Amino acid sequence: MLIKVFLFFSIIFSSFTLGKSLYDFESVEDEKRFYSLIKEIRCPKCTSGSLASSNAPVSEDIKLKIIDLIKEGKSDQEIKEFLSDRFGNQILYNPGLSKDTYLLWLAPGFFLMIILLIFFFRKRT
Amino acid sequence: MTIFIRFIIVSIALMFFGFFYFYINEDKYYPGADFTTSDMPNFEIKDLYSERIFNVKDLEGSYLINVWASWCITCRIEHSFLSKLESKNIPIIGLNYKDEEEDAISWITRFGDPYKYIIHDYKGNLALDLGVTGAPETFLLNDGKIIVHYRGEVNDMIWNDVFKPIIKRENLFNVN
Repeated sequence: MLIKVFLFFSIIFSSFTLGKSLYDFESVEDEKRFYSLIKEIRCPKCTSGSLASSNAPVSEDIKLKIIDLIKEGKSDQEIKEFLSDRFGNQILYNPGLSKDTYLLWLAPGFFLMIILLIFFFRKRT
Repeated sequence: MTIFIRFIIVSIALMFFGFFYFYINEDKYYPGADFTTSDMPNFEIKDLYSERIFNVKDLEGSYLINVWASWCITCRIEHSFLSKLESKNIPIIGLNYKDEEEDAISWITRFGDPYKYIIHDYKGNLALDLGVTGAPETFLLNDGKIIVHYRGEVNDMIWNDVFKPIIKRENLFNVN
């Protein structure tokens, strides 16, 4: 009898019945989008860490804001723009090509070309 | 052909030196300063002391907005400088960030109130819209536009190097 009572309460107070996810989503799709977005967005208070890796108060606020924006039907691109308008381009791990970032994007190609040139001329000699 | 290769190798090395030389020597570079102009977001936030609600229309003219909190240690260090600015008749609006009302009021009565008024952003909604990452942060506002956003403590050096050139350029506060 005692065991039955114990089991009964175990089930009532188990994590299945009382468990609640940290964030509320309207669909599994939204949840997937949220978790992929927070990996691509940097925590503005950390030296280098994504929102996903951070529990800083501002990261929590941004995560909740992202959920709100997802619920409002904003696209990933719109959410990224919303955040980079406020926190600067450095909040995105994958910044687009712009006048501030062209060096970042073009430098590897430039160096590759130089190396290829060296390689090409060496073979001839 | 080896001369050509040597030339390329040396020029790459020189480019590296040049790049770092110019970027490291760029003087008066403050990573906390952001000079992009943006609109002041709309908000409706309660005054810290009363039930009065402030919104963006109350911010016509030129102001400093200082984000502070009683839990913020650097704000205490910054506080004496803000008092100095107030004595020079520079209007500062306090944005109390994620703070309990009682804590904020007791902090401000203890250390003095350099603010024209203080708005109580308990949940940090306006702060998030402004791109605040913590406290202290200071904004320079002119006619509904944010023209300087500084993340970190404002002191004499930051004031002279970051804020003053812009204030002089825009001819605000009669600062000389």
